[in-house]
Formats: sequence, C-alpha cells, structure tokens
Amino acid sequence: MSVTSGRYEQLIQDLRAEVRPQREWIERQGLLLIVGHFLSGVAAGTWLFSLVFHFPAGLAVAYAIAALSAAAHLGFLGRPARFWKMWHARSSWIARGFVGLTLFLGGGVLYLIPIFLSASPWQSGSLIAQAGYFLALAGMILLLFYKGFVYSSSKGVPFWTSPILPALYLAYALRGGVAALLVICSFNGINLDSSALGLLELWIGISAAVMILFYLGVMSGSSPIEQYSVRELLRGRAAVSFYVGTLLVGLGVPIGIGLTGLGAPLSLGAVALVGLASVIGDFFVKYSIAKAGIYRSLTSSPHWRDKSAAVAGVPPLSVKP
Amino acid sequence: MRWGMAIDLKRCIGCYGCQLSCKAEHGTPPGVFFARVLKQEEGRYPTVRQLFLPVLCFHCDDPPCVDVCPTEASFKWPDGVVDIDAEKCVGCRACMMACPYTQRYYHDEEQFYFPGNGPTPYERARSQRHEAGVVMKCNFCRDRVRAGKQPACVANCPAIARYFGDLDDPTSEVSRLIKDRGGYTLHPELGTGPAVYYLPP
Repeated sequence: MSVTSGRYEQLIQDLRAEVRPQREWIERQGLLLIVGHFLSGVAAGTWLFSLVFHFPAGLAVAYAIAALSAAAHLGFLGRPARFWKMWHARSSWIARGFVGLTLFLGGGVLYLIPIFLSASPWQSGSLIAQAGYFLALAGMILLLFYKGFVYSSSKGVPFWTSPILPALYLAYALRGGVAALLVICSFNGINLDSSALGLLELWIGISAAVMILFYLGVMSGSSPIEQYSVRELLRGRAAVSFYVGTLLVGLGVPIGIGLTGLGAPLSLGAVALVGLASVIGDFFVKYSIAKAGIYRSLTSSPHWRDKSAAVAGVPPLSVKP
Repeated sequence: MRWGMAIDLKRCIGCYGCQLSCKAEHGTPPGVFFARVLKQEEGRYPTVRQLFLPVLCFHCDDPPCVDVCPTEASFKWPDGVVDIDAEKCVGCRACMMACPYTQRYYHDEEQFYFPGNGPTPYERARSQRHEAGVVMKCNFCRDRVRAGKQPACVANCPAIARYFGDLDDPTSEVSRLIKDRGGYTLHPELGTGPAVYYLPP
C-alpha cells in the first residue's frame, strides 16, 4: 500500500471515530510548525534577556534561532511561495506572528550589524540602529505572544481554546530565553551573573509547572472532548512526550538542580544541563499540547442528540471518552 | 439575501447520495469530503435506533475560519456563502483548527483513487483542477447556484430531505420549514450562526 493510500485510510478511520484527533499540526509537515513555534519563542525570550543582561552574543544567537524558526514555518506551509500574502490579514494571529517575525528579522539585522561589524556604514547609536532596535523589540513582543493566541483562537479544538494557554506559552518563551542564555554562557565559560539567571530560571520553571497543573485541572473539569484531550495527555498518544519531555526533563531536572543550587553555586556543567533540559521541556510542552488536540464532535451537539434520541424513544448517551 | 439549507432528519435515510453527488460534482480528491453523513447508534437492545447526521460546511454568519486566515483566502460572499480563494491559500491549516464543525480538508498532494495507476479519465477531467497544498471546503455549489440550479446534494437527494433557499426571505420554503418545524443548528452555544439547519425527526 502506498503512503498516499495509508494517509487516506488513516483519515477515513479518524472520520468514522466518535472523536477525531487533529493531525495537521503535529504529524509529517505539521511537526515543522511545532518546531517553528518553539524556536520563535526561544528566539524572542533570548533576545529579551540578552538586552536585559547586555549580552551581544545572545542577541546574535537569538537572531539565528529566529531565522531557523522562519525556515521551519515556511517548510510547514503547503504553499510557502505565497508567504508574503500574510501581510494582508489583520484579525489572524498567524499573520501577526508573520509580521512579528518579519519585524524581528528586519530590525534585528539593522541593530546587530554595527555591533558585530566594525566597518558598518552606520554606528550603534545611529538612527538606523535605533530604528532596528525598536522594530526588533516590537517583533519580539509579537513573537512572545502570538503562539498562544493562535492556539486559543482555534475553536475547532476545545482543548486549546483556553485563556490560560497564551499565558503558558508566554511563560515558556521567557523560560526558553533564560535557558538559551544559560547554555550559551556555560558553553563559552562566560560568567554572566549565573546565580541571577539560575534563580530566574527556577522561578519561571515553577510558574510554568503551576500553570500546566492549573490548565489541566481546568480542562479536566470541562466538556467531554476536553476531558478526552486531558486523557490523551496523561494516558494516551501524548503521554510519553508529556511525562518524559515536559515533566521529567523540562520541569523535574531544572527545578531539582535549581533547588540544590540554592545552597551552593552551580558548576558550569550543571548550569548548562539546566538550560538544555529547560529548552527540551519548552519544545515538548508545545508538542504534547498539540498532540492531545481533539476536534470538536458534531454528534455530541446537545440539540441533535437530545432531539433525535427523544423521537427514537431512547435516552441520549453522553460521549464516552 | 443569505443562502441557507434545511436538512430534514425525518426524511434522511442515510443513503450517502449527498456525499456521492458532491464528489461527482466537484471531483474532490481522496480524503476531501465537502458533504458527509455521520451515523450513530443510540440506545440499548431492544430499544435501539440508528441516527443520521448529514453534514457540510455550515456557512456561518460569524465564521471563525475567516477570522484566523492569515491571507484572507477564506472569505464570505455578500450572500453569506463562506468560500476559499485557492490562489491566496498558503496551506497553514489554521482554518481547519478554527472550524468548530471540522468541515475543512487539506489537499496535501495530488492523489488518485487507484494509487499506482495514475488518474482515471474522470479524475483527469474533474479532480486535476484542484490545487494541492491548500485547504478545500463546500461552497454551496456556487457555480450551480449562480446558474439557477440547486446545490448538487440538494438536487440529488432521493429522499428530498434537503431544502435550499434564502434565509433572509421569511416566505422562502427553507425559512418556513425552519420556523414551522423548529429547525435548529449544531453547537449554537458557539455563537457562529450557521446557515445549515436541521429539522427534527
């Protein structure tokens, strides 16, 4: 059987099922979107904290990560050559993300060139560099926020339509930025106030853990489809990535090392491990939440079930997760 | 003027005539269904019944798919029909995630019903006009309606379970049926204002 017919059989199987998992934003090409979302968050977070800590190398790395994110986004699109048409839309968070990425990449290069190139035609304090600084800053803010809103505006997947999700993704983007800085510093042996960064990392990590628990708590008390998604996350298709990637590596390792480091300063290796684990966790939280997405069920619509079953003379059944 | 449809669940016999006539009309590729019939069994023996739910794009008054489209490829005609401009679609599939009725399909690559044998003459004539890498959906058979015909699923329903007309005209058959029979929409709690109503059995 060819790949094409395999996909077709999968779709037919999904359509026949009572609940249908979303596969477009997680499988095959869809994985590139998750990678793109992850990288854009890390890039924006790294840029922000590199500005805070006056760390030019971090700015350059953030820019490179954003460029990779743009490539991943393009790789995901079915018609990547038409990406420029995304300038038109105003109400779409994907379009806002595209605008953010464009501003960031455009402004970032204007700001970075005089920092790293001594023969630059314009200087660091010049108007062009300042314009680049503000453009990149605006792009960074959009990149920090857009992903969560892309998911929360997806009405077809009830598990994502939560106002907690934008806050969670923002926290993870900030955390990814701190983590990337920790990795860059430790690999280069740079002493960039690692105790402050470590504390920041610990604080954001604990906040993210609380937010995930809160999110799952709210979702498990919602409609049957959301409950089904929570089950997918805890016991189903997304369980391995959630437990291993998000909880153990992404939260357990950094928080554990961070807490042990409160008493004594951490070695560069431990700092690097905290950073790497946090970055891996950042990816897997997005991966797990996307994988647990289930489309809204039409046959669970209360009107149809109640009215049809009432005439049939049988009690309506609830959707069984 | 707002085009809409009423589907009489008392008349629907779950024959898939709408699904097949839609496929024939549009030549949709494998994995793309503008119209479908969902079937479900309710109850416990001996009181059981099979329920049918024919579905298609609901052409919402406030379509979430249009709001999330980054290129404005998804749009609403003045007559209320929600459509896709394939030339503008970038294939991001955000509309698929936004549609609360899951009535959009991604045509990821050119494929045929008999893999390895290439397109049949029918597929060559009807299916190959569809672009790959874009999202597809029902448009209430726009070309047919503009030519004064009924949508294919309405014209070919052997049980005459589908009615198509102007929802804004209170004297139209579809409006009267919805009013007289207590027509309802799916997931009204979402506030999308679907233009496809169901008449209870």
